[in-house]
Amino acid sequence: MNILNITWKEIKVSFRDYHTFILMLAFPIILMLILGSALSNNFDKKIKVDNVHVIYKNSASQAVFSYFQSFIKEAKVAGIDFTEVADGINGRDEVKENHFTAFIEVTDKGLTLIGSSQNSIEESILQGMLTAFADKYNLAAAVVSVDPTKVSTVLASSTKHDYITEHSLRSAKAPSSMDYYAIAITTMIAFYAALYGMGLLREERVKHTSIRLLAAPIRKSEIFLGKIIGCVLVNLICVAAIVIFSHYVYKAEWGSHIGLVFLILISEIFLAVSFGLGISYMVKSHEAARTITTLVIQLVSFFGGAYFKIDHPTGIFKFITDLSPLTWVNQAITKIIYNNDLAAVVQPVALNMGVSLLFLMIAIISFQRREGL
Amino acid sequence: MKVLEVKNLTKKFDGFIAVDNISLSINEGEIFGLLGPNGAGKSTTINLIAGLLRSSEGEIKILGKNNMKHSRYTKMNIGIVPQDLAIYEDLTAFENVKFFAGLYGLRGTELTDRVQEALEFVGLLDMQRAYPKNFSGGMKRRLNIACAIAHRPKLIIMDEPTVGIDPHSRNYILQSIHKLNEMGCTIIYTSHYMEEVEEICTRISIMDHGKVIAEGTKEQLIAIITNTKDIWIEVKSVEQIDIEKIKEINGVKTVSLDKNVIKINSEIGINNLNNILLYLMNQKVEIGSLEEREPNLETVFLTLTGRNLRD
Repeated sequence: MNILNITWKEIKVSFRDYHTFILMLAFPIILMLILGSALSNNFDKKIKVDNVHVIYKNSASQAVFSYFQSFIKEAKVAGIDFTEVADGINGRDEVKENHFTAFIEVTDKGLTLIGSSQNSIEESILQGMLTAFADKYNLAAAVVSVDPTKVSTVLASSTKHDYITEHSLRSAKAPSSMDYYAIAITTMIAFYAALYGMGLLREERVKHTSIRLLAAPIRKSEIFLGKIIGCVLVNLICVAAIVIFSHYVYKAEWGSHIGLVFLILISEIFLAVSFGLGISYMVKSHEAARTITTLVIQLVSFFGGAYFKIDHPTGIFKFITDLSPLTWVNQAITKIIYNNDLAAVVQPVALNMGVSLLFLMIAIISFQRREGL
Repeated sequence: MKVLEVKNLTKKFDGFIAVDNISLSINEGEIFGLLGPNGAGKSTTINLIAGLLRSSEGEIKILGKNNMKHSRYTKMNIGIVPQDLAIYEDLTAFENVKFFAGLYGLRGTELTDRVQEALEFVGLLDMQRAYPKNFSGGMKRRLNIACAIAHRPKLIIMDEPTVGIDPHSRNYILQSIHKLNEMGCTIIYTSHYMEEVEEICTRISIMDHGKVIAEGTKEQLIAIITNTKDIWIEVKSVEQIDIEKIKEINGVKTVSLDKNVIKINSEIGINNLNNILLYLMNQKVEIGSLEEREPNLETVFLTLTGRNLRD
């Protein structure tokens, strides 16, 4: 009952410190928005192919040009407009001046494509489509030379409009920049609980309330546990608010196994609080403890990919990123959300709890030896 | 019945002796004053009695039980009013008292009743929903007391409870101490305000350098120095005064300065007032008033330690 009493007091006191609480919520929400928006190009792999304007000149026979006309019709479906060059107009100049994406010259010998360096992606797509068309035409020509009666079969089987088919190597779902930063910033903020943990018992000493707590007929362990549980809950509520906000306002994806995601987040908060608490007992000076904790939070955040996504690190850099709790937590949450890999919960929770116990042991031993809190 | 018995109590911090082999005994219903300057060992003694610190040597018994072996029982019967405010600014007055009283096993309506009783006692019932951050210094001090009494302790330890407050709040607190005493509480009261100790304490112990140097009622303590008298001379300026020169005058035992008042303790039977005034006149010191006083606790302290309480 004393533990509950202390936990409840901890929650009330924390949430009534409005300034700190608002800052705890506003900081990640704004950071998510800034990083999610500013770095969206690093995540958006889609290329829209529309409004591609092509100018062409026909110098071919009617037979060849009729095939090209069928290509024009099919390409229009993909959003590519074709305009025949008017008399007195140089197609190359039109492309140079960026009035058109590309210039195609159709002759009996084949197709010549002249593109603009400013629209290289569109040009590449167009080149691919033309190559596919030319291959189909060559195939039909080859069939004609062997058995002209079969050419209609060849052309009939090749009336598909999709000259380009995309086959993605990634899973059906992939995080957008906002999805990524929703996870990364949330886990970073969860680790900020270390600062809270660091000041957990010091706060009672500063307010002199430690005297009353120690003068009361309760065990030191009850004070210790009550405060830790309260601290974990306060931070969990903050993290939950950030998750909910990011989901409903930023439309961030949190998957369909939110319970497992929160299990990982709770274990991370517990790790952060234990770490902060352990440091506060290992380092005598509060200022030194604060500096160390802040530095560790920043390093853990950076190498855990909170600010910039770290793709495929190698060598010593990989070793350092693997040491960051945010790395293992973010990877596991991503696997749960995007691959439905429920077993991914085990490793980060086990690691977080293991390391937490280490720091807690340090704090408990120091706590029991010390007179006062 | 003895509420507190302290035998040969010693507390050392890394070789420094904060409390040096003291023994005390306090009976039920007493208001026991612990008097001494800063660093005398009062707060350490109190922390040892309340079980906040472990003694290096000696024994403390509260209501007949050792405070280390029966810490739960002894703590249940102690209420502590720390020297520094020990309240949560982000909890209301009611929540503060409720939280601390809840740690003593009080629950439900009994808890609510006791909290309101304590707040009423210190005159803060009307402010029970207000936050201490909006309180005056005196109100905070009263809340500090309410947090210590809601569980109805038999022994209340008050460590300088009137520091830095206005006279009205100070009087309120002193009256409250009398009321608590009348209700059956035994009180240990520490202060370096001599007047307060003289006013409310039934028995006084004077501490200096971790030791008890005198103990008894006010009258018993003053009787230690019955062969002396106090001369208080109010002057316009103290800049020209050399205390050592006054001490050299025949019969003068101690001299101290308290703002513009020269406090001289002198032997009875030696007429040295003329010499004192002559010295002041030679120094061109303008005298405002002169008063011969009966010795008080401050004189006792000065005589015993050679320094003022507030030095």
